[in-house]
Amino acid sequence: MPRLALAALLALATALNAAAAPVRTPHVEAELLAERTAIVPGEPLTVALRLAIIPGWHTYWRNPGDSGEPTRIEWRLPPGFEAGAIEWPVPERLPAGPLMNFGYQGEALHLVRIDTPRDLVPGTAVTLAARAWWLVCEVRCIPEDAELAVTLPVASRAQPDPRGAGPIAAARARLPAPAEALAGWKLAAHAVPEGVALDLAPPQGVVVPEARFFPFEEGKIEPAAPQRLEATDRGYRLALARAAQPVGAFDRVAGVLALSPPGDPSPRAFTIDVAVAPAAPGGSFAGLALVAALLAAFAGGLVLNLMPCVLPVLAIKVLGFADAADTRAGRRRGLLYGAGVLVSFWVLAGLLLALRAGGEELGWGFQLQSPAAVALLALLFFALALNLSGVFELANIVPARVAAAGANGPSLDAFLTGVLAVVIASPCTAPFMGAALGFALTVDAATAFAVFTALALGMALPYVLLAWFPAWLARVPKPGPWMLRLKQALAFPLYATAAWLAWVLGRQAGPDAVAWLLVAAVVAGLAAWIAGLPGDRGPVARTAVALLAAAAVAIAALPRDATTAAAAAEANWQPYSRETLAALLASGRPVFVDFTAAWCVTCQVNKRLVLASEETLAAFRARGVHLVRADWTRRDPEIAQALAEIGRSGVPAYVVYKPGRAPLVLPEILTRERVIAALDG
Amino acid sequence: MKRFVLGLAALALAAAPALAATVGQSAPDFSAPDTAGRAVKLSDFRGQFVVLEWTNPECPYVKRHYDSGNMPSLQKELTGKGVVWLAVNSSSPESGEFTPPEAMAKWVAAKGGAPTAVLIDKDGKVGRLYGARTTPHMYVIDPQGRLIYAGAIDDRRFASAEETKAAKNHVRAALGEAMAGKPVSVAATTPYGCSVKY
Repeated sequence: MPRLALAALLALATALNAAAAPVRTPHVEAELLAERTAIVPGEPLTVALRLAIIPGWHTYWRNPGDSGEPTRIEWRLPPGFEAGAIEWPVPERLPAGPLMNFGYQGEALHLVRIDTPRDLVPGTAVTLAARAWWLVCEVRCIPEDAELAVTLPVASRAQPDPRGAGPIAAARARLPAPAEALAGWKLAAHAVPEGVALDLAPPQGVVVPEARFFPFEEGKIEPAAPQRLEATDRGYRLALARAAQPVGAFDRVAGVLALSPPGDPSPRAFTIDVAVAPAAPGGSFAGLALVAALLAAFAGGLVLNLMPCVLPVLAIKVLGFADAADTRAGRRRGLLYGAGVLVSFWVLAGLLLALRAGGEELGWGFQLQSPAAVALLALLFFALALNLSGVFELANIVPARVAAAGANGPSLDAFLTGVLAVVIASPCTAPFMGAALGFALTVDAATAFAVFTALALGMALPYVLLAWFPAWLARVPKPGPWMLRLKQALAFPLYATAAWLAWVLGRQAGPDAVAWLLVAAVVAGLAAWIAGLPGDRGPVARTAVALLAAAAVAIAALPRDATTAAAAAEANWQPYSRETLAALLASGRPVFVDFTAAWCVTCQVNKRLVLASEETLAAFRARGVHLVRADWTRRDPEIAQALAEIGRSGVPAYVVYKPGRAPLVLPEILTRERVIAALDG
Repeated sequence: MKRFVLGLAALALAAAPALAATVGQSAPDFSAPDTAGRAVKLSDFRGQFVVLEWTNPECPYVKRHYDSGNMPSLQKELTGKGVVWLAVNSSSPESGEFTPPEAMAKWVAAKGGAPTAVLIDKDGKVGRLYGARTTPHMYVIDPQGRLIYAGAIDDRRFASAEETKAAKNHVRAALGEAMAGKPVSVAATTPYGCSVKY
């Protein structure tokens, strides 16, 4: 009789199990799966919330990205049972227009470890019940929920559950490995201007083809920003852009690092938590860097005195008063000269800050995270460097005789000499001033003021010292051709800065933006060359210089919209792999594959005119087309084979794949109409 | 000198704000048509507090805040205190969730909403300028034109309509502090909701 009762109970339990699951909502089939056929007292059991999502829709990871809501489970367990947190498989990046979500398509299993009490009686049945909530979205979003339960017998031994064990094992393969699995790797993170750089140094011989980072917390990285992986001398660096609207400090890189292509059934992925070092060597921007900047500005001020148009003039005027017979009067004049320099710099700083404030009022905030601003700054540094190189000279902003004039009274004269030292020296201090101005545009008022003050103190200090200690006059270097060489040599740090900014631009906006910057630099170079031609320049030459300079600025600034729009459009494309294509086709929606290469001009023209156009993108969006880009810039056997399969041996090639249909190959010269017709055909 | 210039440039990059709309910086100006087609310009409201609310009648989170009366009553409360409330719908016509201007006006009226204006941003320009990512996504601008709050409407992402009433409303809190001359204690939160249908 007890045996019969047990059998009946088991049958009942099995029936309950079958009856309880799954629950169907309009978009999802939901059920609880158990890994094993029975609960063994005291042994943990893995249960999964399985969501089978209809094609084209998705649910969300623990951090949903730009929008959405993570799936939740609220357990109702018998006494003594304890449910752990959801163990989340590696999510996918799911673009939604310019935004990015992290989540799951197709089937998502949420694993939960249930700890069971030891005092369960074999032969009884236990029901694990839960209410689950999820948000399921395609374009529109539907919040759904379900009451779920799984009933299992208590037994001293358990077998793998025929329904649950397989899917749970597959889901477990998609879980990120704990950080310990990265033994032999070196991970480090440091702050960079655009966010955080994550350095990965794998053990010898380990290649990282790609990497994606999914942060646990929202408001740290910008979800939609491309995460560029580049090789470094010690391994790899993954660039993580700071959230445009950050929430809290980005001081830990905590989340999942996936190192294999999307859709990999057993991804190489790891849970990581790396502290972010305040700054990279050479790229720091903390308080220490401010001190460095002030010291540098001070040194820059000292160097100003050695410029060819400063030293000779000052040598006559300033050394005159430093040489005065009366030491006290000489010292006084030295201080007044210093005050003159300082006041001039403050006036300049005030003027600049007022202009900047005015610009902000008008909405012209100057932001260096904007590629256009970086491009313009690079162009400015390039033009300043050309000036230092002697390609062209800047006209003096005050007539020479004003500069030479002395005021009545030696005190006022000394003060005005200080003012004039700043003004008359403008033709060759302008490059340095320009650098300081460019900097001041981008920092807060107090910092800008401090930098200008340091510059002024640096410029004034030698003369104040000389006035104090006239004996040092003997050691002052004599003006000579060396000044010109010094000036020309100083052009190279500015060229280097322009090159560095070009690199930053490349990282922000891609190689095209850098190409446009280089074109702008060529045009600016032409303008500078014409401006520097010997002889009196007529109105034609001056107009040409003005037009060319304006053109250079326009070229550097204009690609901004194009590049950001292109970058947003780029985010819609997934890199090609056979598995990606198969997985996307499995979703039931068409897939458009762009076989392309950076060196293929036709490809670039088609991309610019057709694929990146708003009209085409809208058509893709409206039809739910998956976009895949097969980049053949570097030879790739997988892409070569895919090309061979469609009867092509090179790029461009454009192919529309639809589930259950032969691939449709489009002509090499693409039109929007042709693309749309192929999608609808 | 090289270090000087590089240091300056690096410092400059680091110190620069990230995007057009950044909490603590001036809020970028925009102009967009309201449901009647009249152009509404942010800078016209200089001197007043302005709330920007990204909305989309098709979104369940928006529905939760409108059907529960939460959003309409907050609009009434704040516009009653002289706050300008601009509701912005950035859904594009291609997204499949575009609500035409007349329908938008009708929907707000039917829900008892009281925004100063409902803006139709169908090309998503204003949304992108502000980096709006969810509906609802809320922004508060002070009379000097500075962005003083950006983020979620409240602290209950998972709430039901009834629970919404018990939530801490970040917009009300930010405005309360700012109007009292205090700094905004919670100035940036993670917005939740549906994605903006650009």
